[in-house]
Amino acid sequence: MAIVNRAEGRAYLTPLVGFLLFFLGFPAAVNLVYSISTVSFETLRSPSLSGFGNYAAVLADHEFWGAVSFSMRFGVLTALAECLIGLFLAVFLTPLLAKRSYLMAPLMLPLMVAPAMIGLMYRLVLHEFAGPVPYYLFEWFGDSPAFLDVDNAFRTLLVVEILQWTPFAFLLFYMAYAAIPLEVREAASLDGASALKALWWIEVPLMLPTLVIAFFIRFIDGFRVFDNVYALTGSGAGGSTTSLSIYIYQAFFKGGAIGKAVAASVVLFLASLAVLYGLNWITGRGRR
Amino acid sequence: MLNLLRWFVFSIAALAMNFPVIVTMITSFKSARELSFNPGFWIGEPTLENYTRVLGETDRFNIYSYLFNSTVASLIGTGLAIALAFPAAYAIARSEAGKRTLLPLIINLRAVPLIIFAIPLYMMYQWLGLLDTQLGLGLILTIVNTPLALVILVNAISDVPSELDEAAKMDGASSWQVMLMIIRPVVRPALVTTFIFGFITAWNEFLFGLMLTTSRAVPMTVGASFFFAASGGGVQWGTASAVMVLGALPPALLGLLMYRQISASLTTGAVKG
Repeated sequence: MAIVNRAEGRAYLTPLVGFLLFFLGFPAAVNLVYSISTVSFETLRSPSLSGFGNYAAVLADHEFWGAVSFSMRFGVLTALAECLIGLFLAVFLTPLLAKRSYLMAPLMLPLMVAPAMIGLMYRLVLHEFAGPVPYYLFEWFGDSPAFLDVDNAFRTLLVVEILQWTPFAFLLFYMAYAAIPLEVREAASLDGASALKALWWIEVPLMLPTLVIAFFIRFIDGFRVFDNVYALTGSGAGGSTTSLSIYIYQAFFKGGAIGKAVAASVVLFLASLAVLYGLNWITGRGRR
Repeated sequence: MLNLLRWFVFSIAALAMNFPVIVTMITSFKSARELSFNPGFWIGEPTLENYTRVLGETDRFNIYSYLFNSTVASLIGTGLAIALAFPAAYAIARSEAGKRTLLPLIINLRAVPLIIFAIPLYMMYQWLGLLDTQLGLGLILTIVNTPLALVILVNAISDVPSELDEAAKMDGASSWQVMLMIIRPVVRPALVTTFIFGFITAWNEFLFGLMLTTSRAVPMTVGASFFFAASGGGVQWGTASAVMVLGALPPALLGLLMYRQISASLTTGAVKG
Protein backbone atom coordinates (compact mmCIF):
# COMPACT_ATOMS: atom_id res chain seq x y z
CA MET A 1 0.00 0.00 0.00
CA ALA A 2 1.38 3.36 -0.97
CA ILE A 3 1.78 5.65 1.99
CA VAL A 4 0.94 8.69 -0.08
CA ASN A 5 -1.24 8.01 -3.11
CA ARG A 6 -1.10 9.98 -6.33
CA ALA A 7 -3.90 12.39 -5.56
CA GLU A 8 -2.55 13.12 -2.09
CA GLY A 9 0.95 13.57 -3.44
CA ARG A 10 -0.31 16.11 -5.91
CA ALA A 11 -2.24 17.93 -3.21
CA TYR A 12 0.86 18.17 -1.02
CA LEU A 13 2.92 19.57 -3.87
CA THR A 14 0.35 22.05 -5.12
CA PRO A 15 0.92 24.93 -2.66
CA LEU A 16 4.66 24.96 -3.32
CA VAL A 17 4.27 24.67 -7.09
CA GLY A 18 1.58 27.34 -7.16
CA PHE A 19 3.68 29.71 -5.12
CA LEU A 20 6.71 29.26 -7.32
CA LEU A 21 4.68 29.59 -10.52
CA PHE A 22 3.21 32.85 -9.30
CA PHE A 23 6.46 34.37 -8.05
CA LEU A 24 8.87 32.97 -10.63
CA GLY A 25 6.93 31.61 -13.57
CA PHE A 26 4.93 34.76 -14.12
CA PRO A 27 7.99 37.05 -13.87
CA ALA A 28 9.85 34.78 -16.27
CA ALA A 29 7.04 35.18 -18.80
CA VAL A 30 7.03 38.95 -18.28
CA ASN A 31 10.80 38.95 -18.85
CA LEU A 32 10.39 37.19 -22.18
CA VAL A 33 7.65 39.55 -23.39
CA TYR A 34 9.39 42.72 -22.27
CA SER A 35 12.72 41.63 -23.70
CA ILE A 36 11.22 41.78 -27.20
CA SER A 37 9.19 44.94 -26.60
CA THR A 38 9.66 48.66 -26.54
CA VAL A 39 8.81 49.57 -22.99
CA SER A 40 9.40 52.39 -20.55
CA PHE A 41 8.11 53.26 -17.09
CA GLU A 42 5.23 55.13 -18.79
CA THR A 43 4.10 52.19 -20.95
CA LEU A 44 4.59 49.34 -18.47
CA ARG A 45 1.18 47.82 -19.05
CA SER A 46 1.12 48.17 -22.81
CA PRO A 47 4.49 47.09 -24.13
CA SER A 48 4.58 47.05 -27.92
CA LEU A 49 6.36 44.13 -29.50
CA SER A 50 9.43 45.21 -31.40
CA GLY A 51 11.48 42.12 -32.14
CA PHE A 52 14.98 41.54 -30.93
CA GLY A 53 16.17 45.13 -30.76
CA ASN A 54 16.80 44.95 -27.00
CA TYR A 55 18.99 41.89 -27.39
CA ALA A 56 20.89 43.57 -30.20
CA ALA A 57 21.38 46.65 -28.03
CA VAL A 58 22.62 44.57 -25.10
CA LEU A 59 24.95 42.46 -27.20
CA ALA A 60 26.38 45.59 -28.84
CA ASP A 61 26.89 47.33 -25.49
CA HIS A 62 30.54 47.20 -24.51
CA GLU A 63 29.56 47.84 -20.88
CA PHE A 64 27.57 44.61 -20.98
CA TRP A 65 30.61 42.68 -22.17
CA GLY A 66 32.71 44.44 -19.57
CA ALA A 67 30.27 43.22 -16.93
CA VAL A 68 30.30 39.69 -18.35
CA SER A 69 34.09 39.72 -18.28
CA PHE A 70 34.15 41.04 -14.71
CA SER A 71 31.69 38.39 -13.51
CA MET A 72 33.49 35.61 -15.35
CA ARG A 73 36.95 36.51 -14.04
CA PHE A 74 35.57 37.16 -10.58
CA GLY A 75 33.69 33.84 -10.47
CA VAL A 76 36.58 31.70 -11.73
CA LEU A 77 39.32 33.32 -9.65
CA THR A 78 37.39 33.40 -6.36
CA ALA A 79 36.10 29.84 -6.77
CA LEU A 80 39.58 28.57 -7.57
CA ALA A 81 41.24 30.36 -4.66
CA GLU A 82 38.49 29.40 -2.22
CA CYS A 83 38.71 25.73 -3.17
CA LEU A 84 42.51 25.60 -3.01
CA ILE A 85 42.79 27.42 0.33
CA GLY A 86 39.77 25.54 1.67
CA LEU A 87 41.27 22.19 0.71
CA PHE A 88 44.61 23.06 2.25
CA LEU A 89 42.98 24.20 5.50
CA ALA A 90 40.72 21.15 5.67
CA VAL A 91 43.58 18.67 5.22
CA PHE A 92 46.14 20.54 7.30
CA LEU A 93 43.90 21.49 10.21
CA THR A 94 41.93 18.23 10.54
CA PRO A 95 44.24 16.80 13.27
CA LEU A 96 43.71 20.02 15.22
CA LEU A 97 39.96 20.33 14.71
CA ALA A 98 38.99 16.66 15.05
CA LYS A 99 39.43 16.78 18.83
CA ARG A 100 38.37 20.40 19.33
CA SER A 101 35.21 21.03 17.38
CA TYR A 102 34.69 24.42 19.06
CA LEU A 103 37.53 25.71 16.87
CA MET A 104 35.13 25.41 13.94
CA ALA A 105 33.05 28.30 15.27
CA PRO A 106 35.47 31.14 14.41
CA LEU A 107 36.08 29.60 10.99
CA MET A 108 32.36 29.56 10.28
CA LEU A 109 31.52 33.01 11.60
CA PRO A 110 32.15 34.79 8.25
CA LEU A 111 29.37 32.69 6.70
CA MET A 112 26.87 34.13 9.18
CA VAL A 113 27.55 37.77 8.37
CA ALA A 114 25.68 39.41 5.50
CA PRO A 115 27.96 39.95 2.48
CA ALA A 116 26.54 43.45 2.20
CA MET A 117 27.63 44.15 5.80
CA ILE A 118 31.08 42.72 5.09
CA GLY A 119 31.30 45.10 2.14
CA LEU A 120 30.40 48.03 4.38
CA MET A 121 32.90 46.90 7.01
CA TYR A 122 35.69 46.97 4.45
CA ARG A 123 34.83 50.59 3.70
CA LEU A 124 35.97 51.22 7.26
CA VAL A 125 38.89 48.78 7.18
CA LEU A 126 40.33 50.32 4.01
CA HIS A 127 39.42 53.97 4.64
CA GLU A 128 42.46 56.21 4.28
CA PHE A 129 41.95 58.02 7.58
CA ALA A 130 39.80 55.78 9.76
CA GLY A 131 40.93 52.37 8.49
CA PRO A 132 43.60 50.35 10.28
CA VAL A 133 45.03 48.80 7.10
CA PRO A 134 46.17 52.05 5.44
CA TYR A 135 47.19 53.33 8.89
CA TYR A 136 49.57 50.46 9.57
CA LEU A 137 50.86 50.36 6.01
CA PHE A 138 51.78 54.03 6.35
CA GLU A 139 53.27 53.41 9.77
CA TRP A 140 55.43 50.50 8.62
CA PHE A 141 56.16 51.19 4.95
CA GLY A 142 55.43 54.89 4.58
CA ASP A 143 52.94 54.25 1.80
CA SER A 144 49.55 52.64 1.22
CA PRO A 145 47.91 51.79 -2.10
CA ALA A 146 44.48 53.17 -2.98
CA PHE A 147 42.64 49.90 -2.54
CA LEU A 148 39.47 50.95 -4.30
CA ASP A 149 40.75 52.88 -7.34
CA VAL A 150 40.47 51.64 -10.92
CA ASP A 151 43.68 49.61 -10.81
CA ASN A 152 43.21 47.88 -7.48
CA ALA A 153 39.45 47.58 -6.93
CA PHE A 154 39.17 44.23 -8.70
CA ARG A 155 41.96 42.67 -6.65
CA THR A 156 40.58 44.12 -3.43
CA LEU A 157 37.14 42.69 -4.15
CA LEU A 158 38.67 39.30 -4.93
CA VAL A 159 40.33 39.25 -1.51
CA VAL A 160 37.11 40.38 0.21
CA GLU A 161 35.07 37.64 -1.44
CA ILE A 162 37.71 34.93 -0.93
CA LEU A 163 38.16 35.69 2.76
CA GLN A 164 34.43 35.50 3.40
CA TRP A 165 33.65 32.37 1.41
CA THR A 166 36.72 30.16 1.81
CA PRO A 167 35.03 28.84 4.99
CA PHE A 168 32.25 27.41 2.83
CA ALA A 169 34.66 25.39 0.69
CA PHE A 170 36.68 24.49 3.78
CA LEU A 171 33.59 23.16 5.52
CA LEU A 172 32.57 20.93 2.61
CA PHE A 173 36.10 19.55 2.27
CA TYR A 174 36.48 19.06 6.00
CA MET A 175 33.32 16.91 6.03
CA ALA A 176 34.36 15.00 2.91
CA TYR A 177 37.85 14.43 4.31
CA ALA A 178 36.45 13.14 7.59
CA ALA A 179 34.15 10.79 5.67
CA ILE A 180 37.04 8.88 4.08
CA PRO A 181 36.99 5.44 5.75
CA LEU A 182 39.82 4.71 8.16
CA GLU A 183 40.58 1.42 6.39
CA VAL A 184 41.45 3.27 3.20
CA ARG A 185 44.05 5.33 5.05
CA GLU A 186 45.44 2.33 6.90
CA ALA A 187 45.74 0.31 3.71
CA ALA A 188 47.61 3.18 2.06
CA SER A 189 50.08 3.55 4.90
CA LEU A 190 50.58 -0.24 5.13
CA ASP A 191 51.51 -0.21 1.46
CA GLY A 192 54.14 2.34 2.31
CA ALA A 193 52.51 5.42 0.79
CA SER A 194 53.78 8.66 2.28
CA ALA A 195 51.18 11.07 3.66
CA LEU A 196 51.62 13.35 0.67
CA LYS A 197 51.28 10.49 -1.82
CA ALA A 198 48.22 9.17 -0.06
CA LEU A 199 46.70 12.64 -0.21
CA TRP A 200 47.33 13.14 -3.89
CA TRP A 201 46.58 9.63 -5.18
CA ILE A 202 43.90 8.44 -2.78
CA GLU A 203 42.26 11.12 -0.70
CA VAL A 204 41.92 13.91 -3.27
CA PRO A 205 40.40 11.54 -5.87
CA LEU A 206 37.93 10.34 -3.24
CA MET A 207 36.98 13.95 -2.52
CA LEU A 208 36.77 14.88 -6.20
CA PRO A 209 32.93 15.00 -6.43
CA THR A 210 32.86 17.42 -3.48
CA LEU A 211 35.63 19.49 -5.04
CA VAL A 212 33.72 19.80 -8.30
CA ILE A 213 30.46 20.71 -6.56
CA ALA A 214 32.15 23.26 -4.30
CA PHE A 215 33.87 24.86 -7.27
CA PHE A 216 30.62 25.19 -9.19
CA ILE A 217 28.64 26.53 -6.25
CA ARG A 218 31.32 29.11 -5.54
CA PHE A 219 31.68 29.95 -9.23
CA ILE A 220 27.95 30.59 -9.61
CA ASP A 221 27.88 32.72 -6.45
CA GLY A 222 30.94 34.65 -7.59
CA PHE A 223 29.55 35.13 -11.06
CA ARG A 224 26.30 36.65 -9.83
CA VAL A 225 28.01 38.70 -7.11
CA PHE A 226 26.13 41.81 -6.04
CA ASP A 227 25.93 42.55 -2.31
CA ASN A 228 29.52 43.07 -1.20
CA VAL A 229 30.62 44.71 -4.45
CA TYR A 230 27.66 47.08 -4.41
CA ALA A 231 28.22 47.96 -0.75
CA LEU A 232 31.97 48.49 -1.13
CA THR A 233 32.53 50.10 -4.51
CA GLY A 234 29.18 50.27 -6.32
CA SER A 235 29.94 50.05 -10.02
CA GLY A 236 33.42 51.34 -9.24
CA ALA A 237 35.54 54.06 -10.78
CA GLY A 238 34.68 54.20 -14.47
CA GLY A 239 32.45 51.13 -14.13
CA SER A 240 35.50 49.01 -13.32
CA THR A 241 33.62 46.82 -10.84
CA THR A 242 30.32 46.39 -12.66
CA SER A 243 29.32 42.75 -12.28
CA LEU A 244 26.53 41.41 -14.43
CA SER A 245 24.07 41.73 -11.54
CA ILE A 246 25.10 45.33 -10.97
CA TYR A 247 24.78 46.00 -14.71
CA ILE A 248 21.17 44.77 -14.70
CA TYR A 249 20.35 46.67 -11.52
CA GLN A 250 21.74 49.92 -12.87
CA ALA A 251 20.23 49.59 -16.32
CA PHE A 252 16.84 49.30 -14.65
CA PHE A 253 17.00 51.63 -11.65
CA LYS A 254 19.48 54.24 -12.77
CA GLY A 255 19.06 54.18 -16.53
CA GLY A 256 15.36 53.28 -16.82
CA ALA A 257 16.38 51.06 -19.74
CA ILE A 258 13.85 48.37 -18.93
CA GLY A 259 14.05 46.54 -22.23
CA LYS A 260 17.82 46.35 -22.05
CA ALA A 261 17.87 45.28 -18.40
CA VAL A 262 15.32 42.57 -19.09
CA ALA A 263 17.16 41.32 -22.17
CA ALA A 264 20.36 41.14 -20.12
CA SER A 265 18.41 39.16 -17.51
CA VAL A 266 17.33 36.62 -20.11
CA VAL A 267 20.90 36.30 -21.35
CA LEU A 268 22.07 35.73 -17.77
CA PHE A 269 19.30 33.18 -17.28
CA LEU A 270 20.38 31.22 -20.37
CA ALA A 271 24.00 31.35 -19.23
CA SER A 272 23.13 30.00 -15.79
CA LEU A 273 21.07 27.23 -17.39
CA ALA A 274 24.11 26.26 -19.45
CA VAL A 275 26.30 26.13 -16.33
CA LEU A 276 23.68 24.08 -14.48
CA TYR A 277 23.37 21.69 -17.37
CA GLY A 278 27.15 21.25 -17.34
CA LEU A 279 27.19 20.66 -13.60
CA ASN A 280 24.36 18.12 -13.70
CA TRP A 281 26.06 16.36 -16.57
CA ILE A 282 29.35 16.12 -14.70
CA THR A 283 27.89 14.99 -11.37
CA GLY A 284 25.46 12.66 -13.14
CA ARG A 285 28.36 10.99 -14.89
CA GLY A 286 30.29 10.75 -11.64
CA ARG A 287 27.43 8.94 -9.93
CA ARG A 288 26.96 6.34 -12.62
CA MET B 1 56.39 21.05 16.05
CA LEU B 2 53.96 20.35 13.23
CA ASN B 3 51.14 20.90 15.68
CA LEU B 4 52.51 24.33 16.53
CA LEU B 5 52.46 25.15 12.83
CA ARG B 6 48.83 24.00 12.71
CA TRP B 7 47.90 26.35 15.53
CA PHE B 8 49.70 29.13 13.70
CA VAL B 9 47.85 28.48 10.42
CA PHE B 10 44.55 28.22 12.25
CA SER B 11 45.10 31.55 14.01
CA ILE B 12 46.08 33.33 10.80
CA ALA B 13 43.07 31.92 8.96
CA ALA B 14 40.63 32.77 11.74
CA LEU B 15 42.02 36.30 12.08
CA ALA B 16 42.09 36.99 8.34
CA MET B 17 38.59 35.69 7.70
CA ASN B 18 37.11 37.60 10.60
CA PHE B 19 39.28 40.67 10.12
CA PRO B 20 36.52 43.11 9.05
CA VAL B 21 34.30 41.97 11.93
CA ILE B 22 37.10 42.39 14.45
CA VAL B 23 38.03 45.86 13.17
CA THR B 24 34.39 46.93 13.25
CA MET B 25 33.96 45.73 16.82
CA ILE B 26 37.08 47.57 17.95
CA THR B 27 36.00 50.75 16.18
CA SER B 28 32.55 50.62 17.73
CA PHE B 29 34.09 51.13 21.18
CA LYS B 30 36.12 54.19 20.24
CA SER B 31 35.00 57.78 20.69
CA ALA B 32 34.93 60.05 17.64
CA ARG B 33 37.80 62.02 19.19
CA GLU B 34 39.98 58.95 19.62
CA LEU B 35 39.23 57.72 16.10
CA SER B 36 40.60 60.94 14.64
CA PHE B 37 44.13 60.10 15.79
CA ASN B 38 44.01 56.35 16.46
CA PRO B 39 42.70 54.03 13.72
CA GLY B 40 44.85 51.18 15.10
CA PHE B 41 43.92 47.95 16.85
CA TRP B 42 44.09 49.12 20.46
CA ILE B 43 41.42 51.12 22.24
CA GLY B 44 42.73 53.99 24.40
CA GLU B 45 39.52 54.84 26.24
CA PRO B 46 36.76 52.30 25.64
CA THR B 47 33.35 53.95 25.45
CA LEU B 48 29.76 52.94 24.85
CA GLU B 49 28.79 56.35 23.45
CA ASN B 50 28.38 54.97 19.90
CA TYR B 51 25.88 52.39 21.09
CA THR B 52 23.95 54.84 23.23
CA ARG B 53 23.75 57.23 20.29
CA VAL B 54 22.57 54.55 17.85
CA LEU B 55 19.98 53.22 20.28
CA GLY B 56 19.02 56.63 21.68
CA GLU B 57 18.86 59.02 18.74
CA THR B 58 16.35 57.57 16.34
CA ASP B 59 14.92 60.69 14.71
CA ARG B 60 16.93 60.34 11.49
CA PHE B 61 17.75 56.64 11.21
CA ASN B 62 15.71 54.31 13.37
CA ILE B 63 17.66 51.13 13.98
CA TYR B 64 14.75 49.57 15.88
CA SER B 65 12.62 49.77 12.77
CA TYR B 66 15.33 48.10 10.63
CA LEU B 67 15.77 45.33 13.19
CA PHE B 68 12.00 44.89 13.44
CA ASN B 69 11.53 44.80 9.66
CA SER B 70 14.30 42.24 9.26
CA THR B 71 12.80 40.10 12.01
CA VAL B 72 9.28 40.14 10.57
CA ALA B 73 10.34 39.61 6.96
CA SER B 74 12.76 36.82 7.94
CA LEU B 75 10.11 35.08 10.04
CA ILE B 76 7.64 35.21 7.14
CA GLY B 77 10.30 34.10 4.69
CA THR B 78 11.37 31.17 6.84
CA GLY B 79 8.01 30.08 8.24
CA LEU B 80 6.26 30.15 4.89
CA ALA B 81 9.13 28.33 3.17
CA ILE B 82 8.88 25.52 5.70
CA ALA B 83 5.07 25.43 5.52
CA LEU B 84 5.27 25.04 1.74
CA ALA B 85 8.28 22.72 1.64
CA PHE B 86 7.34 20.29 4.41
CA PRO B 87 4.24 18.72 2.79
CA ALA B 88 6.01 18.74 -0.57
CA ALA B 89 9.04 17.04 0.97
CA TYR B 90 6.77 14.43 2.55
CA ALA B 91 5.11 13.70 -0.79
CA ILE B 92 8.46 13.49 -2.56
CA ALA B 93 10.01 11.22 0.07
CA ARG B 94 7.01 8.89 0.33
CA SER B 95 5.73 8.67 -3.23
CA GLU B 96 6.98 9.06 -6.75
CA ALA B 97 5.30 12.44 -7.09
CA GLY B 98 7.68 15.21 -8.01
CA LYS B 99 10.84 13.16 -7.66
CA ARG B 100 11.76 13.14 -11.34
CA THR B 101 11.25 16.74 -12.39
CA LEU B 102 10.07 18.98 -9.58
CA LEU B 103 12.82 18.21 -7.06
CA PRO B 104 15.75 18.73 -9.47
CA LEU B 105 14.06 21.83 -10.86
CA ILE B 106 13.68 23.44 -7.44
CA ILE B 107 17.18 22.39 -6.37
CA ASN B 108 18.62 24.03 -9.47
CA LEU B 109 16.74 27.17 -8.58
CA ARG B 110 19.44 27.80 -5.98
CA ALA B 111 21.94 28.34 -8.74
CA VAL B 112 19.79 30.73 -10.76
CA PRO B 113 20.68 34.35 -10.04
CA LEU B 114 17.42 35.69 -8.64
CA ILE B 115 18.16 39.16 -10.00
CA ILE B 116 16.82 37.98 -13.35
CA PHE B 117 13.35 37.90 -11.79
CA ALA B 118 13.86 41.17 -9.95
CA ILE B 119 12.54 43.57 -12.59
CA PRO B 120 9.21 41.81 -13.28
CA LEU B 121 8.81 41.24 -9.55
CA TYR B 122 9.29 44.95 -8.97
CA MET B 123 6.53 45.75 -11.45
CA MET B 124 4.30 43.02 -10.08
CA TYR B 125 4.76 44.41 -6.57
CA GLN B 126 3.86 47.85 -7.83
CA TRP B 127 0.53 46.55 -9.13
CA LEU B 128 -0.14 44.48 -6.02
CA GLY B 129 0.83 47.26 -3.62
CA LEU B 130 3.51 45.07 -2.03
CA LEU B 131 6.38 47.49 -2.59
CA ASP B 132 7.96 48.65 0.68
CA THR B 133 6.05 46.15 2.84
CA GLN B 134 7.38 43.52 5.22
CA LEU B 135 5.03 40.96 3.68
CA GLY B 136 6.35 41.65 0.19
CA LEU B 137 9.93 41.22 1.29
CA GLY B 138 9.01 38.11 3.27
CA LEU B 139 7.44 36.51 0.19
CA ILE B 140 10.66 36.98 -1.79
CA LEU B 141 12.70 35.57 1.08
CA THR B 142 10.42 32.53 0.94
CA ILE B 143 11.60 31.91 -2.60
CA VAL B 144 15.21 32.30 -1.52
CA ASN B 145 14.75 29.76 1.28
CA THR B 146 12.55 27.17 -0.41
CA PRO B 147 15.19 25.13 -2.32
CA LEU B 148 17.45 24.40 0.64
CA ALA B 149 14.46 23.78 2.92
CA LEU B 150 13.14 21.23 0.46
CA VAL B 151 16.49 19.42 0.12
CA ILE B 152 17.07 19.22 3.87
CA LEU B 153 13.53 18.04 4.59
CA VAL B 154 13.40 15.47 1.78
CA ASN B 155 16.66 13.99 3.07
CA ALA B 156 15.46 14.00 6.66
CA ILE B 157 12.11 12.35 5.87
CA SER B 158 13.75 9.77 3.59
CA ASP B 159 15.93 8.73 6.53
CA VAL B 160 12.84 7.87 8.59
CA PRO B 161 11.90 4.20 8.04
CA SER B 162 8.58 4.05 6.18
CA GLU B 163 7.44 1.18 8.45
CA LEU B 164 6.58 3.94 10.89
CA ASP B 165 4.11 5.45 8.41
CA GLU B 166 2.71 2.06 7.51
CA ALA B 167 2.08 1.14 11.13
CA ALA B 168 0.22 4.38 11.70
CA LYS B 169 -1.83 3.88 8.54
CA MET B 170 -2.74 0.36 9.73
CA ASP B 171 -4.17 2.02 12.81
CA GLY B 172 -6.37 4.11 10.54
CA ALA B 173 -4.49 7.39 10.35
CA SER B 174 -4.74 9.42 7.14
CA SER B 175 -1.53 10.41 5.40
CA TRP B 176 -2.13 14.00 6.53
CA GLN B 177 -2.28 12.83 10.13
CA VAL B 178 0.81 10.66 9.68
CA MET B 179 2.70 13.63 8.29
CA LEU B 180 1.75 15.98 11.10
CA MET B 181 1.59 13.65 14.11
CA ILE B 182 4.25 11.04 13.32
CA ILE B 183 6.78 12.48 10.89
CA ARG B 184 6.85 16.07 12.12
CA PRO B 185 8.04 15.19 15.65
CA VAL B 186 10.59 12.72 14.28
CA VAL B 187 12.22 15.20 11.91
CA ARG B 188 11.98 18.06 14.39
CA PRO B 189 15.79 18.58 14.48
CA ALA B 190 15.82 19.00 10.71
CA LEU B 191 12.94 21.47 10.93
CA VAL B 192 14.81 23.49 13.55
CA THR B 193 18.00 23.54 11.46
CA THR B 194 16.04 24.55 8.39
CA PHE B 195 14.46 27.35 10.36
CA ILE B 196 17.73 28.66 11.80
CA PHE B 197 19.51 28.42 8.47
CA GLY B 198 16.65 30.05 6.62
CA PHE B 199 16.42 32.83 9.17
CA ILE B 200 20.12 33.63 8.81
CA THR B 201 19.90 33.57 5.01
CA ALA B 202 16.83 35.80 5.05
CA TRP B 203 18.33 38.25 7.52
CA ASN B 204 21.45 38.60 5.41
CA GLU B 205 19.67 39.13 2.08
CA PHE B 206 20.41 42.50 0.53
CA LEU B 207 19.46 42.78 -3.16
CA PHE B 208 15.68 42.52 -2.80
CA GLY B 209 15.69 44.63 0.33
CA LEU B 210 17.45 47.30 -1.68
CA MET B 211 15.08 47.10 -4.64
CA LEU B 212 11.72 46.48 -3.04
CA THR B 213 11.83 48.71 0.04
CA THR B 214 12.35 52.43 0.41
CA SER B 215 11.34 53.55 3.90
CA ARG B 216 8.71 51.65 5.90
CA ALA B 217 10.01 48.10 5.39
CA VAL B 218 13.77 48.69 5.05
CA PRO B 219 15.66 45.68 6.47
CA MET B 220 18.84 45.86 8.55
CA THR B 221 21.30 45.13 5.74
CA VAL B 222 19.98 48.06 3.71
CA GLY B 223 19.46 50.31 6.75
CA ALA B 224 23.09 49.83 7.77
CA SER B 225 24.22 51.34 4.46
CA PHE B 226 22.26 54.53 5.26
CA PHE B 227 24.74 55.26 8.05
CA PHE B 228 27.51 55.28 5.45
CA ALA B 229 25.88 57.87 3.25
CA ALA B 230 28.24 60.71 4.08
CA SER B 231 26.32 63.76 5.19
CA GLY B 232 27.90 67.01 6.25
CA GLY B 233 30.89 65.95 8.33
CA GLY B 234 31.41 62.65 6.52
CA VAL B 235 30.78 59.16 7.83
CA GLN B 236 30.59 58.79 11.62
CA TRP B 237 32.73 55.66 11.75
CA GLY B 238 32.07 54.89 15.39
CA THR B 239 28.31 55.09 15.00
CA ALA B 240 28.35 53.15 11.75
CA SER B 241 30.43 50.43 13.41
CA ALA B 242 28.00 50.13 16.31
CA VAL B 243 25.14 49.79 13.81
CA MET B 244 26.91 46.98 12.01
CA VAL B 245 27.75 45.12 15.17
CA LEU B 246 24.11 45.31 16.28
CA GLY B 247 22.84 44.37 12.81
CA ALA B 248 25.17 41.40 12.41
CA LEU B 249 24.60 40.11 15.92
CA PRO B 250 21.29 38.18 15.56
CA PRO B 251 22.39 35.89 12.71
CA ALA B 252 25.89 35.52 14.15
CA LEU B 253 24.56 34.47 17.56
CA LEU B 254 22.10 32.02 16.02
CA GLY B 255 24.86 30.65 13.83
CA LEU B 256 27.37 30.22 16.62
CA LEU B 257 24.76 28.56 18.78
CA MET B 258 23.92 26.06 16.08
CA TYR B 259 27.13 25.78 14.08
CA ARG B 260 27.28 21.99 14.34
CA GLN B 261 23.81 21.44 12.89
CA ILE B 262 24.39 24.14 10.29
CA SER B 263 27.63 22.66 9.03
CA ALA B 264 25.92 19.27 8.70
CA SER B 265 22.95 20.61 6.76
CA LEU B 266 25.09 22.90 4.64
CA THR B 267 26.98 19.84 3.48
CA THR B 268 23.78 17.85 2.90
CA GLY B 269 22.31 20.71 0.94
CA ALA B 270 25.35 21.11 -1.24
CA VAL B 271 26.37 17.53 -1.86
CA LYS B 272 23.09 15.64 -1.97
CA GLY B 273 21.44 18.48 -3.82
